Amino acid sequence: MHESPIINVGGFNIDLSAVLMLVVTSAIVFILCRLAVRNLSVENPSKLQNFMEWVVEFVQGIVASAMDLKKGKAYISLGLTLILFIFVANVLGLPFAVITDLSENFTVFGQTIEATRGIGPDHYAHVLWWKSPTADVNITAGLALIVFFLMNYLGLKLNRKHYLKHYLEPFPVFLPLNIIENLAKPIALAIRLFANIFAGEVLIVVILKMGILGIPFLAIWQGFSIFVGALQAFIFTILTMVYISQTTIHEEH
Amino acid sequence: MKIIWENIFLAMAAFAILYFLLHKFAFSKLFAIMEQRRELVMSQMNEAAQTRQQAAAYVEDQKKALEQARQDAQEIIERSRQTSTKQAEQLMEQAKEEAIRLKTEAVRDIENEKNKAVEELRGELGTVSVQIASKLIGREVKKDQAQEELVDQYLKEVGGRA
Repeated sequence: MHESPIINVGGFNIDLSAVLMLVVTSAIVFILCRLAVRNLSVENPSKLQNFMEWVVEFVQGIVASAMDLKKGKAYISLGLTLILFIFVANVLGLPFAVITDLSENFTVFGQTIEATRGIGPDHYAHVLWWKSPTADVNITAGLALIVFFLMNYLGLKLNRKHYLKHYLEPFPVFLPLNIIENLAKPIALAIRLFANIFAGEVLIVVILKMGILGIPFLAIWQGFSIFVGALQAFIFTILTMVYISQTTIHEEH
Repeated sequence: MKIIWENIFLAMAAFAILYFLLHKFAFSKLFAIMEQRRELVMSQMNEAAQTRQQAAAYVEDQKKALEQARQDAQEIIERSRQTSTKQAEQLMEQAKEEAIRLKTEAVRDIENEKNKAVEELRGELGTVSVQIASKLIGREVKKDQAQEELVDQYLKEVGGRA
């Protein structure tokens, strides 16, 4: 099992790998979008602009499948950011991983990496620097928490009466069940995304152990992992939209 | 799998920052352009529909004009046919009249000639008969007015009977 490069700064455990991968992922997504909107044109769009517009239309389709597009227009930006961020995060760990064997009390920025603290002079800690950020349950939990806060905040703001009433339906005795249901949503989101991507990376490590024989399997599995990464990004986005739609939109029966 | 709260907050912060940056610097522009394209397409489609309507109206006009021209041509042909028929009838009429006129003239001429010949013959006959009579009687029958009138009168009677 690989360790995380955690340093302790002022009482906070800062995971350098998570910081690095979050920054890389955000930078890639932001640069991609900036390039796509660099020379915007109505009549003669560039290839990248065309691709970006296709993504926008795809997300519009996702939003439209969950709610009325008139109400859902405000969430298209959110859906786009989610799907791009998660997809890029999912595929970042596919081409390679960076693992270093660090000796005892290894320091970065003058801080000791926690995993190397007191392991003895002849032992090394295998520290994983480059991986999919979504292969870390904390990162996916952060994303899921954003969705959780957002859906409950929007429900309270836009649809307060029916949002609160929904906790007592069909009978007041269902209140604990409804609360658990609400809490299960972000947990399911986080675990689903993390487990898929983490399992993909674990299997890559296992195939690498096969040596040269494993090359065809690795090729197949990496191709499949790109598909899984896209699929998980899609699922996360569509579930977000469905949850927001459930809490904010009350349809008269 | 270890819960590290710092990582959760880092992820939330990273995502929130990315969302605001993208929303402000990329997506709003892209949405505006897509909206513009949608409007452009809509206006072009409207224009095309209008053009199609205009074309249909134009074709209708052309059809009407063609129909009108055809009717006019029919009328002109009809009129010219009537005119020519009338003219032909007129010509026939004229020819007939001319023929009748010529015929009457000819008949009158013949009558005139006949009368003239009869007149001449009658004159000749009178002279001859006086000569014969004078020969027969052996004396000169005077060639005077009274006698000639007498002869004429007889001859007329003869001629009228004949």
